[in-house]
Amino acid sequence: MLRSLTRELRFLRRDRGALFWLALAFALSVIAVSFGIAEVREQRATIATLVEEDAADRANALSTQQDWGGAAYYAFHLTYEPPSDFAFAAVGQRDTAPWKHRIKMLALEGQIHEADTRNADFGLVGRFDFAFLTASLAPLLLILLLYDLRASERTARRHDLLVATVGSPRSLWLPRATLRVLGLAILLLIPLWVGAMIEGASPGVVLQASAIVIGALLVWWLIVELVSRIDASPSVLLTSLIGLWLALAIVVPAISKAAIEAANPVPDGGEILLLQRETVNDAWDLPKDDTMEPFVEQYPEWREDSVIDEGFEWKWYYAFQQVGDQTVAPLARQYREARLERDRDAGLVSLLSPTSFVERAFEKLARTDAMAMVAYEDRIRDFHEDLRRFHYALIFPKVEYDAARLEDLPQYDPSR
Amino acid sequence: MSMAIRIAREEWRLWLRSKVVVAAALIIAVLLAATSVLTINRIADEQVQRMEQQVAAEETFFAQPDRHPHRMVHYGHYAFRPPPPLAVFEPGVDAVTGQSIFLEGHRQNSAMFADTKAGADLGGFAALTPASLYQLLLPLLLIVLGHAMFLRERESGTLAVLLAQGSSGTKLALGKATALLSVIAIFMIPLIVVAAYSVTLGESVLAAASLVAGYFLYLCIWGAIVLAASILIRQRAISLGALVFVWLFAALIVPRVAINASSAAIDAPGKIESDLVMLAEQRKLGDGHNAADPAFEQLQAQVLEQYDVETIEELPINWRGVVATYSEAELTNLLNRFAENRMALEAGQSRLFDLFGLASPTIAIASSSRMLAGTDLATHHRFLRESENLRFDFVQALNQAHATDLDYALDMNRNNDAASAEAARINAESWQVLDEFRFQPDSAVDRLGRARLPLGILLLWLAIASSFVVWAARKVRV
Amino acid sequence: MTAPLEARSLSLMREGNAVLDDVSFSVAEGEIFALLGGNGAGKSSTLLTFLGFLRPSAGEVLVEGRSVHANVAAARSSIAYLPEAASLYGHMTAYENLEYFLDLAGRKATRSDLDSAFERVALAEEARSRRLQSYSKGMRQKTAIALALLRETPILLLDEPTSGLDPVAIDEFHDLVKALASSGQTILMVTHDVYGACQVADRVGLLRRGKLVGSFAAEPGRRIDTETVHAAFAEREAA
Repeated sequence: MLRSLTRELRFLRRDRGALFWLALAFALSVIAVSFGIAEVREQRATIATLVEEDAADRANALSTQQDWGGAAYYAFHLTYEPPSDFAFAAVGQRDTAPWKHRIKMLALEGQIHEADTRNADFGLVGRFDFAFLTASLAPLLLILLLYDLRASERTARRHDLLVATVGSPRSLWLPRATLRVLGLAILLLIPLWVGAMIEGASPGVVLQASAIVIGALLVWWLIVELVSRIDASPSVLLTSLIGLWLALAIVVPAISKAAIEAANPVPDGGEILLLQRETVNDAWDLPKDDTMEPFVEQYPEWREDSVIDEGFEWKWYYAFQQVGDQTVAPLARQYREARLERDRDAGLVSLLSPTSFVERAFEKLARTDAMAMVAYEDRIRDFHEDLRRFHYALIFPKVEYDAARLEDLPQYDPSR
Repeated sequence: MSMAIRIAREEWRLWLRSKVVVAAALIIAVLLAATSVLTINRIADEQVQRMEQQVAAEETFFAQPDRHPHRMVHYGHYAFRPPPPLAVFEPGVDAVTGQSIFLEGHRQNSAMFADTKAGADLGGFAALTPASLYQLLLPLLLIVLGHAMFLRERESGTLAVLLAQGSSGTKLALGKATALLSVIAIFMIPLIVVAAYSVTLGESVLAAASLVAGYFLYLCIWGAIVLAASILIRQRAISLGALVFVWLFAALIVPRVAINASSAAIDAPGKIESDLVMLAEQRKLGDGHNAADPAFEQLQAQVLEQYDVETIEELPINWRGVVATYSEAELTNLLNRFAENRMALEAGQSRLFDLFGLASPTIAIASSSRMLAGTDLATHHRFLRESENLRFDFVQALNQAHATDLDYALDMNRNNDAASAEAARINAESWQVLDEFRFQPDSAVDRLGRARLPLGILLLWLAIASSFVVWAARKVRV
Repeated sequence: MTAPLEARSLSLMREGNAVLDDVSFSVAEGEIFALLGGNGAGKSSTLLTFLGFLRPSAGEVLVEGRSVHANVAAARSSIAYLPEAASLYGHMTAYENLEYFLDLAGRKATRSDLDSAFERVALAEEARSRRLQSYSKGMRQKTAIALALLRETPILLLDEPTSGLDPVAIDEFHDLVKALASSGQTILMVTHDVYGACQVADRVGLLRRGKLVGSFAAEPGRRIDTETVHAAFAEREAA
């Protein structure tokens, strides 16, 4: 086997067609990885600046406040999801789902759905990242490398001589195809490995990613192998293979996506906002008890302090913000559940399409998948809850204002 | 000419006999039909829904009871962007941007709830629209049909016979081009039907016809590229491989690389980033809720002088309303400056992206398609601007009412007790200041003007590709 | 002693048509056997059956006494095959082509081995390190023959070996084939060239529509009578 591999390696070195596709794969991988690293670095730089500016802005806002309510009202808090050390390989949902927010003590549902995403054209076309390269383009390159291994020798009337000379056909086609698949895999992976080293991705993740790349190429190899058994001209083979690629990479995912989304409707996001706004606005005109009662149900510890005497009190103001969130909580939960449900279904259906499977697997490794984005939103909710508990403990018992105590404000911790 | 038709007919005979060709054409036809029907239904639903939501939002606003005017400023309003008629073919950026905006005082919100955020994630090109089928799949069909159309004559030796009979490479190529053109014409039919349907929905004929013309140009470019390859390359497998590479490059690689490149070249800060810078400036403007903010001292002096009184209590108008009006105007100036800056940067990125059309006709057609359909970034930006005007107008009208219709003393005492709160209200009649908002697509002429650059690039592509064919056909020897 | 090549009642069906019908012959060690036939007579199919590419529908073919289809690889390793219009790799030089194909056969050859083979087929020295895409048909054929020589197999199968060669090259080739046979190689060639076959073969078989319809052998020390064979061939083909 080793002997036939070295023989075919010498042969491959002179096959300009194959070398072209392999070089293209390498170049594309370098481009994808370097764009990915540049993007991730930019996102990190953005976060670093934001963290600094956010702190300065908060300090500035707090410096002029004279009561707890004002301090809570005017202080924004940055939340963010830093890109993982493998995010360079799969930008994933970070292009369409927001990964940074500035929230304050008001009703959260009005803030968490703000989308601070980039240029809409970008989300539409998608990025050229490593995941896209491996999932969508690499199979095409593999097809172009392998489809006419036999058929081209047949057209050149060399097939019989080759097989008669080698004796058993396996010891010719197997090493020939193996080298091409192996070459493609290695040339795709080298830039990924270098990128992972630069970014400091964990070896476990890189190993899994490499296994996914190789596994996907093996699956496509099997497909090409089965199709090219058909005794047809190279161009018919290539046409059929590209048809299969289209089916598996574009048509199946598109149909499944439509089916999954029809089967798992999400509540209209607008409804969530509308209901939350209505609740908050109506509260101004309602008897104050109508607000304080549901609030106390949620936070019984403030029952004693929940009597509102004046026309306007901050504790009432924040209570109706809280109640606004409570009212839409079932809808918001439904929205979240439906997203997760869709993602679970998409995970199942992606078994039908190697392309979807690879993209999803990469996004999972890079923590840029829908789950990671929902987890980030959960972290925002937890942090917002911390903020509420911190401020309620100051606002409800009518603690005297002391700016120094604001130093203990909860800090957002992205790693929690 | 009759010779060209003869050759074309021969080509058709061959295609109809090839199972691969017939299967490929049928599959694409079925996909086109299915996608068109699905997209038409989806967009029609959305259009009705958005219109209803817009009307409902207005009715709810008008139906609000007597209130303190500033409460209505915070109560806010919604603006919806219904998809334009041609969105049935090209939904464009609508899926990514979100199509509703909450409008309130002192804030410019971003459009919310883009479909993609909650979409099932199945990787790179999960969404199929009629437009994307035309952009991606039809070129592939032309490649499958045409990659061997000329070189086959060479392979089978008929080229020599034909040339010996006095036919020329140019005449042969003309025949082959006629055959490809007839295929393109047939596959234009679904687009023409969808475009005609959009006209019945109220789309202008000019825009619909330009869209059809744009796609016709695009497919002709691919036809010319395919024909040139089949003349110049002598082996069908190589011709097919080369054309697939061109497709891969133009349809998949360049657009995405162009996205990366234009986002790297022009850094458009996100809203949070620009909001942070803005907040710092905003603090200098003063808080419009707090009429005692020292930032308003100058305004106070000026207003007092204007009405020739000593104290704000003596003013014939409500000082708090004056401050609210003043600070809203100042703030909106600031907000608009940042918003315009952000939009200008995004538009710059998109312009740069459009220039990549010189490297890939797919980018050029995708851009012209979105522009002509009115589902491009510029239309979204206009939606943001118009909804901002709507926001500013109703907020200022309410602030005006605050200044003129509500007594200052009553206003100051509004938090004393329930009765004072009751007194500090104005009549619900005043809510009628809200303008009716119906977002309309740009006029066809405007859209066509915007699509000048990408359409020009398409024409350039066609000119280059067809002169390439002519050149290749002229030098055909056996 | 077993014959190196033997066909026993060989029948072959392809897509429902009988390509070979009950063909039997054997070729002795050191013998040159030429199968003559027109287009579609089943000549090339006979060779492909010996190489294990086609499976007999009845009867069997044996190489060195063993059934080919029991062990295809073993049969192929004893055979050097020269296909019709043999095409080697155009993007490689003659040296590179031979090195590659010998490697495929599991043989090693030194530069001087290659050179001596090229000498025997009279391939000009300057041409040997040129790529084959610049070769004439005759030069390509010579390279393929050199490959067959270097294989040093006991058996040689030739499919229309002289088509495309000029008369001088044909003569040289015939001398070469005779020399190979006298050094003990068993040679089966198929051709439609009656004169060439009679000149070089020890025995000629006439193949028509899949049937072996005639056989002529040379007297010791003499050539086969071309006129007789040609007359028989023409008559059979006309029928």
